[in-house]
Amino acid sequence: MDQAIPKRRSGALGDALFRVAAFSAALLVLVLLGAIAISTLIGGYPTFAHFGFGFLSKAVWDPVRREFGALVPIYGTLVTALIALVLAVPVAFGIAVFLTEVAPRRLAVPTSAAIELLAGIPSIIYGMWGLFVFAPFMANTLDPWLSDTLGMVPGLAPLFSGPPLGLGMLTAGIILSIMIVPFIAAVMRDVFRLVPPALRESAFALGATRWEVVWHVALPYTRTAVWGAIFLGLGRALGETMAVTFVLGNSHDFNISLLAPSTSIAATIANEFTEADSPAYLSALIALGFILFVITFLVLLLAKLLLLRLAKQGAR
Amino acid sequence: MNLRKTHPRGRSRKRLNVIALGLATLATALGLVGLASILITTLLNGAAALRPSLFTELTPPPGAEGGLANALFGSLLLIFVAVVMGTPIGILAGTYLAEYNTYPKLVATVRFINDILLSAPSVVIGLFVYQVIVWPSGHFSGWAGAIALALILLPVVIRTTDETMQLIPLSLREAALALGAPKWRVITQVIYRAARAGILTGVLLGIARISGETAPLLFTALNNQYWSTDLSRPLANVPVVIFQFALSPYESWHGLAWAGALLLTLLVLVVSILARSLLREKAE
Amino acid sequence: MLVASAQPDQLQNQTQENGESAAVSEKPCIIIRNLDFFYNDRQALRNVTMTLPERKVTGIIGPSGCGKSTLLRVLNRMYDLYPNQRATGQVIMDGENIIGPDVDVSLLRRRIGMVFQKPTPFPMSIYDNVAFGVRLHERLSRAEMDERVEWALTSAALWDEVKDVIRSPATSLSGGQQQRLCIARTIAVHPEVILLDEPTSALDPISTLRIEELIDELKRNFTIAIVTHNLQQAARIADQVAFFFMGELVEIGPSAQIFTAPKERRTQEYITGRFG
Repeated sequence: MDQAIPKRRSGALGDALFRVAAFSAALLVLVLLGAIAISTLIGGYPTFAHFGFGFLSKAVWDPVRREFGALVPIYGTLVTALIALVLAVPVAFGIAVFLTEVAPRRLAVPTSAAIELLAGIPSIIYGMWGLFVFAPFMANTLDPWLSDTLGMVPGLAPLFSGPPLGLGMLTAGIILSIMIVPFIAAVMRDVFRLVPPALRESAFALGATRWEVVWHVALPYTRTAVWGAIFLGLGRALGETMAVTFVLGNSHDFNISLLAPSTSIAATIANEFTEADSPAYLSALIALGFILFVITFLVLLLAKLLLLRLAKQGAR
Repeated sequence: MNLRKTHPRGRSRKRLNVIALGLATLATALGLVGLASILITTLLNGAAALRPSLFTELTPPPGAEGGLANALFGSLLLIFVAVVMGTPIGILAGTYLAEYNTYPKLVATVRFINDILLSAPSVVIGLFVYQVIVWPSGHFSGWAGAIALALILLPVVIRTTDETMQLIPLSLREAALALGAPKWRVITQVIYRAARAGILTGVLLGIARISGETAPLLFTALNNQYWSTDLSRPLANVPVVIFQFALSPYESWHGLAWAGALLLTLLVLVVSILARSLLREKAE
Repeated sequence: MLVASAQPDQLQNQTQENGESAAVSEKPCIIIRNLDFFYNDRQALRNVTMTLPERKVTGIIGPSGCGKSTLLRVLNRMYDLYPNQRATGQVIMDGENIIGPDVDVSLLRRRIGMVFQKPTPFPMSIYDNVAFGVRLHERLSRAEMDERVEWALTSAALWDEVKDVIRSPATSLSGGQQQRLCIARTIAVHPEVILLDEPTSALDPISTLRIEELIDELKRNFTIAIVTHNLQQAARIADQVAFFFMGELVEIGPSAQIFTAPKERRTQEYITGRFG
């Protein structure tokens, strides 16, 4: 096909075609993001129009009477993600410190690989493990123990009350934390490695211990990026579906107790989508998807901006 | 001042150091225990349900015995189609980011948004595909499932392609351009060749990522109890079968769910390890 | 003058030594004997024997990769941070071998401070930078700490420039100010020895001059070892000069002698610019 056209022009034509193709592919990324937002907004529009602000603030979820309020799933999403963060951040920080400061190279390399494998396991496997292994453990061991200890503390009691089912926000939060630990740990490990060696050595030269160097120098130096890593983990936790769907118990009844069944946005969509038998029901689920998209987008945006700041600082 | 006699304050600082680093080690052990627990559970339960009929029989009705043949085939088909659709577009987009700098702001924005898509909840991507393909066409289909998976694969391929191509030395490009080759030939015949291992790693990482995706398939490919190779109909696939069977009350379905979970985990692990070793090979 | 004002405990027992004697024959602060150093299997220092005289400036010169910086990193055990680096021989301070196995490295580094090639301000305020090392080793009241920080910054000739912005981030200072801040941070913990690893190589000529003046001031109270690429600098500020080449100490002697009448041919070739 090249022979038909003079050589020089074939190069120019090829260049132009290739360039347009690559440009369009790159543009597709932006189009995709916009299309996701717009399509879910359109799908959820009837719900937003009908229920207005009440969709966010009401705790009614009655598909038969077509009354929809998303308070319980929104609350469940935020609480499970929060539990996950509270548990995951210290552990991830510990792993990052171990990998950068404690472990000799020979140990750090395989450990790093194992932690990354943990990040690669499909979330549905976490869900099954949660349902068949972890939820029974919670029901038999941790839930009763928490009810007997923290459940007796005035003020905390409502959070740890109710029968020990093993299904609920606490179980989901713990499984989410196991899921996001590798993500946060990997990013923290990478940013700790960006601390200039001379800065670390300066602290050592004043007689600081390894821990003091991490806590007083490495952590402040990487502070914004560490926050970025945490928000990245939060973004994952908020949007995670399968790991929590199995163990939340899928209940739209509002209950303050962390041990009681609840639901999250993602779990509601996954559980009920195939049952959605009316356009109003379907629209309510897609409206939930739009809310989830907006929340995670904002969290991830913040995470990326924070991570970018250290990259710029490092480049200087 | 004696160099060997540690001051009391120094002793307490050293104690704190040992405790803190000890806790860090403990945290790592905790993470590894979690990994081991999940892998071992999957391995034991899955191995118990592993039998040849898994690969020959169809997914059974409630309470009956059966296999995963249709689901395994469906999953492989979905992954294959998703890779065929997503990879070329991903490589092209990554190429644009790495090779063309006419609009630096656009490139930076696309990179940024791509990183966000990389972590975007897959359940929302499933809803999106439902909105633009399933709903207008009136039925769930394998095509919709494959497109949803391709959209999840896309950012992974874009990012690795972009990163790999940026690492290729300028001198290689200049040497090729100096021979009078047009840019697109330099890219397709020289740069891609040099970046081959990195791009392949990206595709493998993408496959590892999409092979376990469940949520987006619930709204797109859905499931099919029967043998089907028709991408325009609902298509059986392993993740959705696991989801439905695990939440059912039937013991035999639980067994099949575990078997599916084991096969899925093995696939993901093998592909990830392959990707890593490829990456290491490239580094050497 | 600046230094002598505020910190009596450090300074009382020192006899001021005026008048530069030609020979450097004062009381030794650190004695190095038969020091060998290895990065993995590569030997970076070979059988080095020398002394750092108390309250003198020892300039360490030589071409890149000759082992100058390595020597400093042995003296405060910085190489401990990295596996596969080891030192053998003796480095004696107060009758003890610094590189021996049961030395408290934290205490050692308090007594032997170090300033690096590029300024390394910690990501905190100017005040906290100076207080950082002090807080590690001592528990001081607020007033005492304020006094210590002011003394250290004054000694480093930085106080007047920063006293009004002492709570701002250290990174807001200029490069030369940052380097003086690092010197202040080092002397704040009351070390006996200060190691300077090419402290002015990243600075402009005016900042360099200020640091050199500062070093001249500091040697009243501290034993100083400075690695430098700049021979004029060594000639200006060092009392004795050691010339290293390929891991070996080729020649050591009073500054004037090294630069005017070197005994070794390799020293002469280096200082006349024939290599390096």
